[in-house]
Amino acid sequence: MDTYDTADSDEHPVLGRLIKLGLFLLAQGVAVMLVAFVALLVSFGTGWSATAEQASLLQPGEARSGSLLLKEDGVTTEAIRLGTDIDITVSGPTLRARVTQLFRNPTKDWVAATYVYPLATNGAVDTLKMVVGDHVIVGDIKERQQARVIYEQARSAGHKVALTEQERPNVFTNSVANIGPGETVLVQIEYQEPVHQAGDEYSLRVPLVVAPRYNPAPIVQSVDFRKDGSGWGAMTTDPVPDRDHISPPVLDPARNAPVNPTSITVRLKAGFALGEVRSHQHNVKVESPDNTTRIVTLADGAVPADRDFELTWKPAAGMAPSVGLFREHVGDADYLLAFVTPPSAEQATQKPLPREVVFVIDNSGSMGGTSIVQAKASLLYALGRLQPNDRFNVIRFDDTMDVLFPASVPADAAHVGEATSFVSALQARGGTEMVPAMRAALSDKISDSSMVRQVVFLTDGAIGNEQQLFETITAMRGRSRVFMVGIGSAPNTYLMTRAAELGRGAFTHIGSVEQVEERMRGLFAKLENPAVTGLTARFSDARADITPAIIPDVYRDEPLVLAARLDKLAGSLEIKGRVGDRPWSVTLPLQSAAEGKGLSKLWAKRKIGDAEVARTMREMSPEESDKAILALALDHQIVTRVTSLVAVDRTPSRPEGEPLKLSDLPINLPAGWDFERVFGERPQVPTQLRERHADARNQSELRRPTPAAPDAIRLPKTATSAELKMIAGLALLVLALILFVLNRRRRLLTDAA
Amino acid sequence: MHRLISPLVLALVGLILFGDGVYIHAKGWLAQVLLERAFDRSIATGQAVKPWSWADTWPVARIEVKRIGASAIVLEGASGQALAFGPGHLQHTADAGQRGIAVYAAHRDTHFRFLRDVAIGDVIDITRSDGRHFRYRADSSAVVRFDASGIDAMTRGFELVLATCWPFDAVTSGPERYILHATLIGGDR
Repeated sequence: MDTYDTADSDEHPVLGRLIKLGLFLLAQGVAVMLVAFVALLVSFGTGWSATAEQASLLQPGEARSGSLLLKEDGVTTEAIRLGTDIDITVSGPTLRARVTQLFRNPTKDWVAATYVYPLATNGAVDTLKMVVGDHVIVGDIKERQQARVIYEQARSAGHKVALTEQERPNVFTNSVANIGPGETVLVQIEYQEPVHQAGDEYSLRVPLVVAPRYNPAPIVQSVDFRKDGSGWGAMTTDPVPDRDHISPPVLDPARNAPVNPTSITVRLKAGFALGEVRSHQHNVKVESPDNTTRIVTLADGAVPADRDFELTWKPAAGMAPSVGLFREHVGDADYLLAFVTPPSAEQATQKPLPREVVFVIDNSGSMGGTSIVQAKASLLYALGRLQPNDRFNVIRFDDTMDVLFPASVPADAAHVGEATSFVSALQARGGTEMVPAMRAALSDKISDSSMVRQVVFLTDGAIGNEQQLFETITAMRGRSRVFMVGIGSAPNTYLMTRAAELGRGAFTHIGSVEQVEERMRGLFAKLENPAVTGLTARFSDARADITPAIIPDVYRDEPLVLAARLDKLAGSLEIKGRVGDRPWSVTLPLQSAAEGKGLSKLWAKRKIGDAEVARTMREMSPEESDKAILALALDHQIVTRVTSLVAVDRTPSRPEGEPLKLSDLPINLPAGWDFERVFGERPQVPTQLRERHADARNQSELRRPTPAAPDAIRLPKTATSAELKMIAGLALLVLALILFVLNRRRRLLTDAA
Repeated sequence: MHRLISPLVLALVGLILFGDGVYIHAKGWLAQVLLERAFDRSIATGQAVKPWSWADTWPVARIEVKRIGASAIVLEGASGQALAFGPGHLQHTADAGQRGIAVYAAHRDTHFRFLRDVAIGDVIDITRSDGRHFRYRADSSAVVRFDASGIDAMTRGFELVLATCWPFDAVTSGPERYILHATLIGGDR
């Protein structure tokens, strides 16, 4: 056999040599490839170690699972504590508020904290200061995204950093990173706001708590509720894309002592002799240094932040001014703020037009407690005020909706009686689907132009999809006018004022049952009396940029408030309009304007509001309005939807390697709210403090957990089989080589034998 | 003779497999060279230019991260065929520089291997095939499932997402994706 074999190979020497040559080349090739592959492995090697490290940083699942602390017994010593001090100075038509938040860290860890807090809708936030030890760091206004990057970078570098962002025009967040163990950091923001005026009553409102919002569920629901989605994503059909930004943990008042103690001081310099000064929801101490000045402090010291602070003041009898004119010179421009209260028409000479009134009452769970009592009392009062020749209808809604009559009915005794028993039987429960109710209220079925059509909407406005509601009003308002009645201790004033503005109506707030009659009487005065219409304003000499650009109708006892930017302070301002069917005009010489403070910011804030309205009304493209808002905000240093304030302390504080814990600070439930009605069963919200280890350098999305949102975008498969094939191919080659060598050896051995 | 057959067959299969793997990388690399040329011509002529006559896609943008010297030409569509040649622009997502969110996806082992080196704060330059240039800044990253990306297609901002498979060093493909999110900070021309 062997000889035969040898002879055979001797007979074909060329073929044998060829095979040997081929095998030699193959072996050579494999050797080269092996070397190349080893080189490749080495280069991958560094990559592997790098990604392995990054993997531990980037896996949000891992980072999140770190330490979720569930505090069953409520307030614990381990939580970040917050105290708030509010100092307000009222000077004439404007007020300046300084809000100081004290973040104290009693834990042994480095902490980053986020606190969601409300501010007045018209407030222009322009200053952020962070006080660390004995030095003060002043914040800069930056484009929102840029500010966020600065914050993230400083946070990961271990610098102390504070960031103020606007989530809604009346909801802001302060984030502070790198508070050391046992350390206290003060964060101070300041804002400018106009004083509110109605009739002879002046008022200011300091919202102290963000009421839990009902965020309508997206239409499409995913079944895959992973908790590690990204922080900025949401579903196309999600009506509240930023739900996690405005939903801080809420404490159950039955189980926890109220948190966030707040002290308030108001220095009131009205500019005229003062009459009555009253706080509606808090006990206050009032000092009177002279007859135009008051100093108001809380009688019981610090209070928990669970209701809005409301202060009203009236001029001394007979001193009520009907006109106010104030100026401020900033840069190369003059800013003017004008208040004019038009005369009310003589009611006797006016025959009131018959009206069609649609009452809408919110009986959702957030209205539970005293709110529903106030709302029902208000609506019953309103039903009692209807005239026999009026028509009316009643709609109630939670996450379902009932329309009492198919179409509006005459307000005769039978119909009013039926409505009264319907309203009296209402219970607060369920979600808040406001948009369908508004749509039903605005659908004008009778369209009788001899009647004035009015929608009276009673709600606390605790929803997160404000924009949808605004779009509904804009699209469907027709000839209807929308009057918003804000109910409860902490209504969403942004929603109320904007909805009333878009609906060309007015906004009334009812904070307690005692206020129902007085405020509803005021509202009915507006409903029953003709408004001042067709208002125009003109400056005789100066070139002016006036806001609001189109002056809305003014209701009885409301002042017309105008802000303007002028190139020079000369000539006069003439305001014209119609009171009922009679023309009315007033001329104000600009020379007599008094010096005011912060008017430029108020003007800019109003312009920003105009741009937002124009965007809702589709008069401006989103790009244009963003651009206009950005320019105004940077010019006047105001926090807006597109700009934030950020303050960085460059002295490094957190040592490298020390982990940073995140915490969303809990807030109180607004006073008078019923916890179980809002959140269902109690044990569902035990989260007192959410803590996560977050020492990664790029985890902005970890700041708040994201509810999983269903996704429109599916990502394609993005891995090739190249490496797998190369590795498998190489393995086969090596195997072939081994087999070849073994065969060869055996042959050599047998040859030798 | 017959003793040589099994090692030879093994070697041949091994070579074919290995060659196939190399071919995928070579194709990706060569395609980028051709695409680069086609893209330059697109900018010059203002027309969509196919990189080779039988291509079913065309270049739409160039991604550059100057800090780490990375660059890639993006193709329209994210079919498997397009992804073999370069990053794909997901259909039904915005174009770069438009309002909304532009999503580019590519293989983790070829064109988007550089993604893991991109740090938060890095500037990502996008040049569109019409010659317009946009600058984005990376602001967050996340690991998500392919069917729960959390990408908000109706966003009001001007945003960009670069997506690839996760983890970077895995050999087989899995359901997880790495996404890098960036927001527009400026544009020119």
